[in-house]
Amino acid sequence: MNRRKNTAAIFAERARVVGQQAFDAGQYVLKLHAPRCAAAAAPGQFIHLRCAADLPLRRPYSILSADAAGGEVEMLYKVVGEGSRRLAACRAGDELDSLGPIGNAFAPSPERPNLLLVGGGVGIPPILFLAARAREDAAANYTPLVLMGSEIPFPFDVTDSSLPFAGVANGTRATMAALERRGIAARLASGRGFAGCYRGHVGGLARQWLDAAPPEQLAATAMFACGPAPMLQDIARIAAQFSLPCQVALEETMACGVGGCAGCSVAVRDDNGGIAMKRVCVDGPVFNARAVFG
Amino acid sequence: MAGPMASGHDSRLAVDFCGLRFSTPLVLLSGCVGFGDEYTRVEGFSHADAGAVCLKGTTLAPRTGNDPHRLAETPDGMLNAIGLQNPGVDALLDDILPALDFSETRFIANVSGSTVEEYREIARRLDDSPIDAIEINISCPNVREGGVEFGNYPEPSARVVAACRAVTDKVLITKLSPNQADIADNARRCLEAGSDAFAVINTVAGMAIDAGTRRPVLGNNRGGLSGPAIKPVALLKVWEVHQVCKPHAAPIIGQGGVACGRDAIEFLIAGATAVGIGTGLFYDPLLCPKINREIAEYLDEHGMENVAALSGSLEWNE
Ligand SMILES: Cc1cc2nc3c(=O)[nH]c(=O)nc-3n(C[C@H](O)[C@H](O)[C@H](O)COP(=O)(O)OP(=O)(O)OC[C@H]3O[C@@H](n4cnc5c(N)ncnc54)[C@H](O)[C@@H]3O)c2cc1C
Ligand SMILES: Cc1cc2nc3c(=O)[nH]c(=O)nc-3n(C[C@H](O)[C@H](O)[C@H](O)COP(=O)(O)O)c2cc1C
Ligand code: FES
Repeated sequence: MNRRKNTAAIFAERARVVGQQAFDAGQYVLKLHAPRCAAAAAPGQFIHLRCAADLPLRRPYSILSADAAGGEVEMLYKVVGEGSRRLAACRAGDELDSLGPIGNAFAPSPERPNLLLVGGGVGIPPILFLAARAREDAAANYTPLVLMGSEIPFPFDVTDSSLPFAGVANGTRATMAALERRGIAARLASGRGFAGCYRGHVGGLARQWLDAAPPEQLAATAMFACGPAPMLQDIARIAAQFSLPCQVALEETMACGVGGCAGCSVAVRDDNGGIAMKRVCVDGPVFNARAVFG
Repeated sequence: MAGPMASGHDSRLAVDFCGLRFSTPLVLLSGCVGFGDEYTRVEGFSHADAGAVCLKGTTLAPRTGNDPHRLAETPDGMLNAIGLQNPGVDALLDDILPALDFSETRFIANVSGSTVEEYREIARRLDDSPIDAIEINISCPNVREGGVEFGNYPEPSARVVAACRAVTDKVLITKLSPNQADIADNARRCLEAGSDAFAVINTVAGMAIDAGTRRPVLGNNRGGLSGPAIKPVALLKVWEVHQVCKPHAAPIIGQGGVACGRDAIEFLIAGATAVGIGTGLFYDPLLCPKINREIAEYLDEHGMENVAALSGSLEWNE
């Protein structure tokens, strides 16, 4: 076997902070000028950021949006520890060492143009990126349907939706204002009882739509999810129950971020039913849900 | 000295390592760069910026390694407990080695085992391969039944080295553990047993605790500490082993926390012939060319002819 050399598709850039927007509960949208990353980024991929000079191990963050023309990428993150705390202190004009884009991307197929996209918490950003790119893909005729769950206030403006979402009860009408403006149907879930949100896990919302969908619509549907592990497991179970293909984006602690250390490996089932170790950074972060959760 | 000639490096950086020519004294360390091609994903990275590359620790049979989490960040460093995830020596020989570009750098295999017999068998199979040298890892802290049992004591360390020496003419590098009473004594016994060179040091055994859950952070509970936090420990161990090696002209790959040119220079001064970079590469994948440049500048500033003149130049306080 002759292995091909990897193509040099990850760029080391001094990324300039363009700005940060703060939301409730320590959530931020960070905009960076990182033109080479921006030009290549696809939904599901992440950027590896050095958050401070004295914190040399990088932090992985999913890309929320990428504007190739402007050379900018956005990330949505939550402050959970020292690295993210330092990131939140960054101001416009600061520079951060970045590596990106890294990893594989979600791979929708035109054969299943209904994309049921499910994001939970800090797993929301790649889902929004995928929804945006799917909508822009004129050739494929995708219909993205977005479901998002959060146990803290959503890090974006929320509004009532006038776009239909089959199966979902009338009271569940809260959506992300930016998606509504683009005509992308979306609904929100939270156990916190936020106005207009489905009360419970986002998986319950997915199930409502799936239960109402006629067979020919199910046959044209695929699921994509990113979020905490219990949510992904729930989504994987739902996808299996409805016999839908499902891709999930995973998280694991990382060191190199480029496939060198095997520190981010997870066990997945290979095609022959055996167990294979896969690196979340370069073999993932997107995996077939069945390979991960059985 | 045979070796890669294509490199455009300052020839003053080249070092002789047991007859192998390293185009620069930098060695990419085992477990940090996979099986050789991983970092080529990063634009601007080139193996030619390192004199040699140590491949991931390899066992006789494939190993899936430890459960997550395998990594924990610590002050000025990190803990890892990968557990020697590797595809086994047959995959190394059949799939990996044939695809490596030996014109760019030197490739060194890193061997681990649970028994003396396992080490011997892997070394035997590698003897008839294009690999440039064999590093014997008797110091992995992450596999209970594995190398650490050997590496923490001189007698079993020497037995592993002797077993490998008996089956190969390749350059043998013994990777020594810092987690032992007398590293110099261990080095002496391994030299007698046929080791040509040493790698000093492997990671320092450690643990991280999550106070919230009152559990170790690592799936394996214990791990190996690397990065700048271990540099002072490593410098002293390199100097101690150098005292043993000097009369035999046995070279050392000094390692532990190198993150800039100054660090590399300090290891050379302490007695290393070559300098390893592991965790430093996680911090900056394009670190090697920067360090090469800083070493060259140091040679200029101090009017030194080459890296060899720097090696072991420490003026010990009497
Ligand atoms: C592929 C990928 C995409 C991600 N995308 C996002 C995102 O879009 N938004 C967001 O808010 N978070 C995201 N995360 C999680 C984010 O990386 C962590 O929240 C962040 O690393 C925490 O760093 P800290 O120093 O603030 O926290 P600490 O807990 O102090 O971090 C300590 C160490 O653990 C690591 N770590 C802690 N939590 C995680 C985690 N969940 N995953 C991986 N490493 C972790 C840190 O990198 C650091 O090395 C993503 C993780 C991965 C693997
Ligand atoms: C993630 C990781 C995996 C490692 N795996 C191996 C291994 O398989 N075999 C080995 O001999 N050393 C292994 N090491 C040890 C390194 O090769 C090196 O000796 C050590 O990390 C000290 O150098 P550093 O501080 O520059 O990283 C590993 C280190 C790290 C961080
Ligand atoms: S983080 Fe090193 S292999 Fe994924």
